Amino acid sequence: MAEEKTILLERDELGRTISRMAHEIVERATTPNEVALIGIRSRGVHLARRLARRIQEIEKIAPPVGVIDVTPFRDDRAQEQDSPAIGAFEVQIAVDEKTVVLIDDVIFRGRTIRAALEAVERLGRPKRILVAVLIDRGARELPIRADIVGKNVDASDGQRVNVLLEESDGVDQVTIAHWQGRTTS
Amino acid sequence: MRSLISIADLTNDEIEEIFLLADAAQKLRAEQPARGQIMATLFYEPSTRTRFSFESAMQRLGGSVISCSDMRSSSAVKGETLADTAKVVSAYADVLAVRHNWDGAVQAMVEHADVPVINAGDGGHEHPSQTLCDLYTLRKEKGGLKGLTVVVCGDLKNGRTIHSLVFALARFGANVVTLAANGMELPQYVIERLEREYDYALAPVAADDLNAVVTETDALYLMPKQPHQLALFTQVDQVIQARLNTLASGLRYDAFYMTRKQKERMKEGTTEGSYPTIGPEFLRQQHFKDTVVMHPLPRVDELSPELDKDRRGIYFKQAAYGVPVRMALLKFLFDRRGAKPTSASPRSRAYESPEELGPQCRNLNCVTLKEPASARKRFEVLFAGEIGTLILACAYCDHRFKVEFIGHVASKRYCAYDQAFAETTRGWLQNHQLAIFDSIKAAEEMGYEPFKSGPQRALMNEAEIKNALSAMSEQILRECRDPDRLLILGVRSAGSQLAQRIALEIETRRGRKVELGEIEIYGSGDELRRVAPAEPDAAPLTLKNREVILVDDVVHTGRTVKSALSIIFRSGRPQSVRLAVLVDRGHREVPVKPNYVGKNIPSSDQDRVRVKLRGVEQEERDQVVIYSIMTPVASSHLSIGGDEKTAVP
Repeated sequence: MAEEKTILLERDELGRTISRMAHEIVERATTPNEVALIGIRSRGVHLARRLARRIQEIEKIAPPVGVIDVTPFRDDRAQEQDSPAIGAFEVQIAVDEKTVVLIDDVIFRGRTIRAALEAVERLGRPKRILVAVLIDRGARELPIRADIVGKNVDASDGQRVNVLLEESDGVDQVTIAHWQGRTTS
Repeated sequence: MRSLISIADLTNDEIEEIFLLADAAQKLRAEQPARGQIMATLFYEPSTRTRFSFESAMQRLGGSVISCSDMRSSSAVKGETLADTAKVVSAYADVLAVRHNWDGAVQAMVEHADVPVINAGDGGHEHPSQTLCDLYTLRKEKGGLKGLTVVVCGDLKNGRTIHSLVFALARFGANVVTLAANGMELPQYVIERLEREYDYALAPVAADDLNAVVTETDALYLMPKQPHQLALFTQVDQVIQARLNTLASGLRYDAFYMTRKQKERMKEGTTEGSYPTIGPEFLRQQHFKDTVVMHPLPRVDELSPELDKDRRGIYFKQAAYGVPVRMALLKFLFDRRGAKPTSASPRSRAYESPEELGPQCRNLNCVTLKEPASARKRFEVLFAGEIGTLILACAYCDHRFKVEFIGHVASKRYCAYDQAFAETTRGWLQNHQLAIFDSIKAAEEMGYEPFKSGPQRALMNEAEIKNALSAMSEQILRECRDPDRLLILGVRSAGSQLAQRIALEIETRRGRKVELGEIEIYGSGDELRRVAPAEPDAAPLTLKNREVILVDDVVHTGRTVKSALSIIFRSGRPQSVRLAVLVDRGHREVPVKPNYVGKNIPSSDQDRVRVKLRGVEQEERDQVVIYSIMTPVASSHLSIGGDEKTAVP
């Protein structure tokens, strides 16, 4: 089974996309110091830290960055054995009366975000919760939306969207893999 | 003077003090501290152990007992109220031990008695002296309570001992595993107290038999204040089971707490379905070698007779501890007869309706409904939950329910409660200006008029609503993968009405029935905050692999939908959830997006959108209206203060 890859975002484009997303986050918030970012492990955390740096450049205020691992809240996680930690929040931040931005690399079924919402609820009562993702690949199974999207990708069930980030993968790149010789189900 | 209604009336230190007294029961017996004292036992429900052990305890302390062999042969049959009985018997005895079949009945007696009253079980509410015995037994057998893992099994809904026990275990830092028989999960108010007061996450599991536990596949764990709260799965699939097993293998089960099927508290016809039992297999499992089995007794057939001879079956010992523990409890209460009642309990900061037709407890077995003459309706006011719902908690039975209408006493105006009024409502509460009504009818009967709001503008008429629902139904049917797996879930109460209409519409198109259920975002005790079939007697809904259509009237901040999603995912694992709303008015605060929308209505923050449906609240026709609120918030001269500590987040 050969795998055919298409590059969706290259390094520079990815940088610009993150920049634009940072601006959008700032625009959405009433005041810059009410913004709190929560990265969803693991690539969502890298993205959250990058967004925080960009926001700091724009607003001179660095928003706090929380880290969340939604594994224990996910109802269908399981196939992924690579998450050793099962605690919900690895880095807790104050969320009361904040504009909380949940950040992930890809939004797909919506289950991860739903699980993250549940975890945030346990932490406090934010003024508002936004979702920011680098890639929205559609095909939601839950009535959940991404408010800030880097790029919309129309991917079928059998395709895999890979977000590679320097922090974890040594390279900034988003690809989509088409599986050959396999029907989508 | 102190009474004991709930295990919450005692602090941990006080419970330890009672246990130390129980350890020295022989000494108490020699000292006879109750000499010359009389205990009256008033049992309106049958009992062997509780009653005998109370009577034995009193006599061993040197006191004596008066009693009626069966309260049904007492003046109660002549219609004597609890209040009168409490007053009268107070003159004959120094302490009362009361069992009653109504929730909150003992609290009602406390309010009229002049001597300490002990709750020996009130309906499905609490049974604190049993809990003391249970805790004492565990402490005796296991050396302490902190860090123990206790599996509570069976009927967790009707078992009052279970409710008291889980609160107490939570307080002492024990882990609780719940293993509910089908449809007999812990009631919502118990769950919420656990979550709010003890930082517990709940893990109810519907188990067919204890086999599931024996293989460690279906058990879930409540671990207070620990990072790995595996609490949110209720229907566990195989892969998650594997994860659970890894955790479970490190877990030592200290005790199984079995309960009896409470047939007398069940509705007719709801007794089918298997019930957890402990069989011989349990005894042979290596990892249960140190697991003790407790049971409040009487038992039906939950325990294998083999267990009687096994050292791990400690239920007879548990029953025997009933006497020293109750001796200790009596001594403890006698020592405090001069003391002031504790004020920690919510009963002391209760709300009473300023109007005659105030709110009613939704628990039909509550003493406030069964015998209003003995129990002045009082509630704790809470601003709770994700959507800032105004909640009343009954001071007698602890059941919680949502406030529908609020009024301002001085101006005699009322309106439907909306989270936007939370601050105003707090102010009114503080200034004793808050009226609460269950219905418009009640408000108007009390001479209240609706708050003057801006002119109402109709946004959708009857035909438009019909067309919108029809179009949505068609789209739902077209987009679903397998119509047989459809489940239409309405958010109570307006959403359920619409869900019904959509289901009907789909049924007409398909020519086949579609399953209909509803979600109570904030339910009273019986209607758990969970998914339930629309027909009260229908079989429980399964969510696994279903295509759920969640139906609500208006989507606004999205918080209601978010709560509904939490509830759905606590109850099962659907394949998908899609959201259908009649009106989307924007202003989202959480990332929720409806899939089917009847009409998008741009609105400002000051606007209110109401979906009025025929037959609901005396509406004569279907209509969607928008109006701006000149209701309580705008009429600010009515709201004073507003920063009061009634909120419990």
